[in-house]
Amino acid sequence: MPQLHDVDYTLEYPYTRTTGPVIGPFLTGLRDGRILGQRCGHRVLCPPMEFDPDTFATLEPDLVEVGPGGEVENWTWVGEPSAKHPFDRPFGFAFIKLDGADTALVHAVDTGGDPEAMSTGMRVQAQFRSERHGSIADVYFVPEADAAEQMIEPGDEPVTITEHLIGLRINEPLHPHRARFAQGLLDGKIIGQRSPVTGKVYVPGRGYDNMSRVLMSEADEVEVSNVGTVVAFTELNPVQYYGQTETEPYVRCSILFDGTDQPVIGIDIRDMTVDEMRVGMRLRCIWRDPEDRSVTDIDNRYGNIPETVYARFKPTGEPDVPADELKEHSW
Amino acid sequence: MAPRPCAVLGIGQTKYKRRRDDVTLDGLVREATLRALEDAGATFDDIDAIVIGKAPDALEGVMMPLLSLCDALGAIGKPIHRVHTAGSVGASTSISAVNLVESGMYDTVLTVAYEKQSEGNATWALSGGKSGGQGAGGTFAPWIRNYIARSKAPEHIGWMVAVKDRLNALKNEYAHLHLPDISIEKVRESPMLWDPLHFLESCPSSDGAAAMVLGNDDIARKSGRPPAWVISHAKRTEFGQFPGRDTVRPQAGVECSEALYRKVGITNPREQIDCAELYVPFSWYEPMWLEGHLIAEEGEGWKMTDAGDTELGGSFPVNMSGGVLSSNPIGASGMIRCLEAANQVRGTAGEYQVPGAKISIGHAYGGAAQYYAMWMVSSELNPVF
Amino acid sequence: MVSLAEDVAIVAFAQTASHAHFNDSEPAMIMPCVNSVIEQVGMDRHDIDFTIAGSCDYLSGMPFAFVMNIDAVGAWPPVYESHVEMDGAWALFEGFVRLQSGDIDTVLVSGSGKCSPGSYREGFSLQTDPYVHAPIGLDPRTQAGFQAQALIAAGKATERDFAEVVARSHANAKANPYAQLSGDRSVDDLLAEPYVQQPLRRLDCPPTSDGAAAMVIARADKARELSDNPVWIRAVDHRIESHHPTLRDLTDSPSVRIAAERVGLHDGPVDIAELTVTYSPEEIILRDALGLNGDTAVNPSGGPLTGSPFMAVGLTRVIELARAIANGDGRRGVAHASSGPALQQNLLCVLEGDG
Repeated sequence: MPQLHDVDYTLEYPYTRTTGPVIGPFLTGLRDGRILGQRCGHRVLCPPMEFDPDTFATLEPDLVEVGPGGEVENWTWVGEPSAKHPFDRPFGFAFIKLDGADTALVHAVDTGGDPEAMSTGMRVQAQFRSERHGSIADVYFVPEADAAEQMIEPGDEPVTITEHLIGLRINEPLHPHRARFAQGLLDGKIIGQRSPVTGKVYVPGRGYDNMSRVLMSEADEVEVSNVGTVVAFTELNPVQYYGQTETEPYVRCSILFDGTDQPVIGIDIRDMTVDEMRVGMRLRCIWRDPEDRSVTDIDNRYGNIPETVYARFKPTGEPDVPADELKEHSW
Repeated sequence: MAPRPCAVLGIGQTKYKRRRDDVTLDGLVREATLRALEDAGATFDDIDAIVIGKAPDALEGVMMPLLSLCDALGAIGKPIHRVHTAGSVGASTSISAVNLVESGMYDTVLTVAYEKQSEGNATWALSGGKSGGQGAGGTFAPWIRNYIARSKAPEHIGWMVAVKDRLNALKNEYAHLHLPDISIEKVRESPMLWDPLHFLESCPSSDGAAAMVLGNDDIARKSGRPPAWVISHAKRTEFGQFPGRDTVRPQAGVECSEALYRKVGITNPREQIDCAELYVPFSWYEPMWLEGHLIAEEGEGWKMTDAGDTELGGSFPVNMSGGVLSSNPIGASGMIRCLEAANQVRGTAGEYQVPGAKISIGHAYGGAAQYYAMWMVSSELNPVF
Repeated sequence: MVSLAEDVAIVAFAQTASHAHFNDSEPAMIMPCVNSVIEQVGMDRHDIDFTIAGSCDYLSGMPFAFVMNIDAVGAWPPVYESHVEMDGAWALFEGFVRLQSGDIDTVLVSGSGKCSPGSYREGFSLQTDPYVHAPIGLDPRTQAGFQAQALIAAGKATERDFAEVVARSHANAKANPYAQLSGDRSVDDLLAEPYVQQPLRRLDCPPTSDGAAAMVIARADKARELSDNPVWIRAVDHRIESHHPTLRDLTDSPSVRIAAERVGLHDGPVDIAELTVTYSPEEIILRDALGLNGDTAVNPSGGPLTGSPFMAVGLTRVIELARAIANGDGRRGVAHASSGPALQQNLLCVLEGDG
């Protein structure tokens, strides 16, 4: 089996959150160096909630300052912080009942890395970070004795929207059939999988034939022609979302390679305009020079025949295939 | 045992907007939920179970959000579960909630669907978070072109649908887009996004939530609220890509509507159904679904649009509320179709009421036009066809 | 106990081993399970009335990942199908509910998840409140740590009790060919290990696992037609608690208590309990809330501490119980699935043998 790259990407987006009538003032308070709780009958809820947690009745926004001191009601020690944690050294997470509040806030306590300093009933005090954005992460806690005096400059506008870069890193080897397909492209070959049940040829193979619900292996793999027929195309005006690197309109098409039964979708056609494209048009894949080919865009889900392996798709000059012969392959 | 009869007893919607900058996710779902409870004359205490639906978690970056929304939905101590069937999810969620009532295990069920698309980016999510994504329009455009080629429909059909749905939306206070000066010319002159789809032939990206309270026949009688009886529902799924797939008239869509009609003995949907809320995110899907769901003969759907039959006041009104073309919080859009169908047969559709509507359908589709969910609602429990 | 309109039985089940890493796609992982249960019932796939799956897009690493999973369950010709963004146990719940309407006979249920490509600890922190918890990375292991500490503080358990749960789970798993971890471990050795999340040690926490599970359930008459040894689902119920850990008594599980009442757990003997013990302290809470005594064998399979493919793990508990009952290891038992941090949401399913 070829040894190719591992799949390694982060599914990531800078989400924005609108903060509403209760969380908004709470986050504004944190930015301004104050912790606020929401009144709920005779109680004060911190973290604040928009509704009574017992009756679920909506609460009118009514925020009152709590803390900055509080008492630890429960705790656990994080020996190996994750990338999403507020500290990169060991710290405690704790239930902190702030002075003046009736419910506890979950937050991080920095004891300088010492788990022995944590205990139920210990007094802690809020410390505010020098850079604050209106986030729960603007604040953290330390043992009361370690608390420093802080002068916090309040901000101007209320916090109504916050940004959060949220992602999950995905890291795994290419699945064996994906690796063989990718290696084929590096070798200038298009590898498909022929269903042992129906004989239909799929490119790229998925490691199974979904129509017959049968797994497929290397034994089912076949090299297919690099000449095919356009069965569908579309011009895309790239939406400028986070991570989008495309800026100009371009054509994507689906090509049914000769001898196969399902088109390869999403093939990038850069040197033809949409006006030059026709369903039924015959195209040949012209490979890049071997040293210029790269398959690093192929992962276990995305990437069929990436433009990093071919120089272009060139019209063969053959007559178009009549559209009704392609009816079975409209994607 | 026969399924226990189930009725829609309360409906709640938020105002749909590009960005609901005044609410949290909690606040958004509560706005629709509290309105549905009020409409049903019910409180959280009356709810036996909750079904929640939305499209991918990556649209807001909150994983399995029922866990963080259950307090806001008053679900503590109750069953709550989450449905996800791509774009069809709002209708699938509605149907799952009906199943709970029909089972006899739960008397009163709250169902909620939402999307807060402004928190993330739908095209990013549809692209799997990768550059160079095709998006929904890029996927559907070639199939629409095939429909046009097959049916010989004139190009103005898409423009007509775009105008009609936006004019309907003017009568719906909850609709996202209110475009009073919409016209065929404006649609035609708007930028081409994916040939043949112009900007104004495409759905907006919306924030919003929808909710319903469903109850069995006993609850319906006691509530005194006008019921919309859910007399039939159906779902069908097929693969997105396989040799021989008809992407213009997907078989799953045909079979879904066949099952929907067969259950109650509908033999002529065009005549026996009074109006429909169909999932039309791109204008051309109106005629495509009229045909694909057996309301019109193959090749005849566009003629219904062209003749004005699908207008409010026409012989078979479609998307009286303004449809997905006017409001599209993805995860909720299917539920909005279902609850707007219910509004019609309850007589609660206000300015966009089809006079005397007794039978209506709500519909949604999703994925690569491969997931279908439909329901039929009636003002009577046992209508005779 | 809720009265049911229809008797429903499990007539076929299959599961993958719990893999540390399954080096192929999620559909390729599910497909053999689906094929196995279809073969067991001897039906044409398209004669199965309803299909429902449970999975989680984020775990699978992309939005709409579940769409690809229909490749494994089969969707041509079109099928009547749905999906829950939850553990497969909740797909079973919806399938069970659907059969109560009495108009269909059979349901294909599946659940699948691949944790290995992502970081489960970081990924699952995205389950928490997006305003006050997720931005500080509050993760499930931390919440389990709170739960453990609360038990200790309340005098309800000790670290030794946690280690005993681990030792027994790993010993039980020796007989389970699907388990990822197993072996004889002494409590003292376990207690000598360092903390990863004080008061939790590495084996108090689940391994990273990939896996899938599937079953066919059927209404009574059909069940007898399809199986010589159906296992009856007497009741299913699930309940949720507050998302805010500080608003809960973490040493108890009121949601399990409600569900146990609703499923009539103690209307008969409870020979076996297959519990979603993702972190060892959870077993102590669950035993108490379920009212189990020494007569019940708890997690004879080894449970999730020995293999925890999230989104399949709850459905796998039902399968492990069904297998034990089908094998005659017990006549009646309870399977438990959980969702969310620190046992926030819990499902119970009571199974009973035939005859």
